[in-house]
Amino acid sequence: MPLPRIAPPLPRTIRLAQGGDDPAREELAVYCRKIAYIFALQGCGDRHEAHDLAQDAVLRFFAALDRFHTDRPVKPWLLTITRNLIRDRARRQRTRRIEAFSLADIVVEPSDPEPGPEAIAALHQMQQLLWRSMQELSASDREIVTLREYLDLSYEDIANALGVPRGTVMSRLHRARRRLGAIMTHRKQASEGEVHDA
Amino acid sequence: MPETCPHGFDETLLSGAIDQELVQADAQKVRIHLEDCAFCRAQFDELTKLREFAMSTTIRQPPDDQWSESPRGGISRTGRTVGWLLAITWLVIITAFGLYQGWQNTDGAFEKFLGFGGLGAVALLFASVALDRRRTAKTDPYREVEK
Repeated sequence: MPLPRIAPPLPRTIRLAQGGDDPAREELAVYCRKIAYIFALQGCGDRHEAHDLAQDAVLRFFAALDRFHTDRPVKPWLLTITRNLIRDRARRQRTRRIEAFSLADIVVEPSDPEPGPEAIAALHQMQQLLWRSMQELSASDREIVTLREYLDLSYEDIANALGVPRGTVMSRLHRARRRLGAIMTHRKQASEGEVHDA
Repeated sequence: MPETCPHGFDETLLSGAIDQELVQADAQKVRIHLEDCAFCRAQFDELTKLREFAMSTTIRQPPDDQWSESPRGGISRTGRTVGWLLAITWLVIITAFGLYQGWQNTDGAFEKFLGFGGLGAVALLFASVALDRRRTAKTDPYREVEK
């Protein structure tokens, strides 16, 4: 299993950031932007909107940073803010989600150190299929799958971010994963059917 | 292919096992069950792959220069806080002084009403809006976050 790609900030960094240390604040901001952007991108489906939402979330996070306990993980707190902003935006705009995500936005990061071009292409195809299939999930399913699969939150952190009991996380996540798997299979079969028809 | 495990196994444990979030007894239960159940084994493999695809995906982020607003640092934050405190203090003192002088230099009830009636009305409206805002803040979706 590949390791999580975005290392969380150390408690010392957060303490320094709370004390007003500029490099620590910048380091924390960079981390928060990455996390908030990925979650916002899956939440709203639009790159520019996701950028705005992530920016707003990070500013709100920093506005309340003095009240943050350094022994708690950053992700659930930040993602709760981002989630509220996504919901707020959806309520305001009531827009339909669109698959505005460009293929170029996914960068292949193979776990095999020396993969051949075919392996990379196959992996890239599956990553795209997975991302696009996520767009067909309900908002709550998409949310929980993004938190676990793309942002690597533990069950406890997911429970904190979503405000649900820890036991609910496992069952809800499993159902969402199964629906996602079914959508992927359906999409794959549909695209293979199109190739055969052609 | 059946929709659910033919042995009636609690399939949610499969996700827990993939995520290594199970207690030892449950993890053992899953391991033993997977040896005998082809359905759950296939599901376990499918969900594991799904996770690997997601975990190996890197999402391209907007370039650093596009993050126009950076959180305020120590000096500017302190400066902003002190600035606001000074401005508010100044406003309170100058308003109180102006009101006192105005009250002292105005003769007659009618003139006082003309001078201060409007200000009183604005103050009451402001107070009522503030009270409403305080009441609606209880259902504010950000209230948990801001604590």
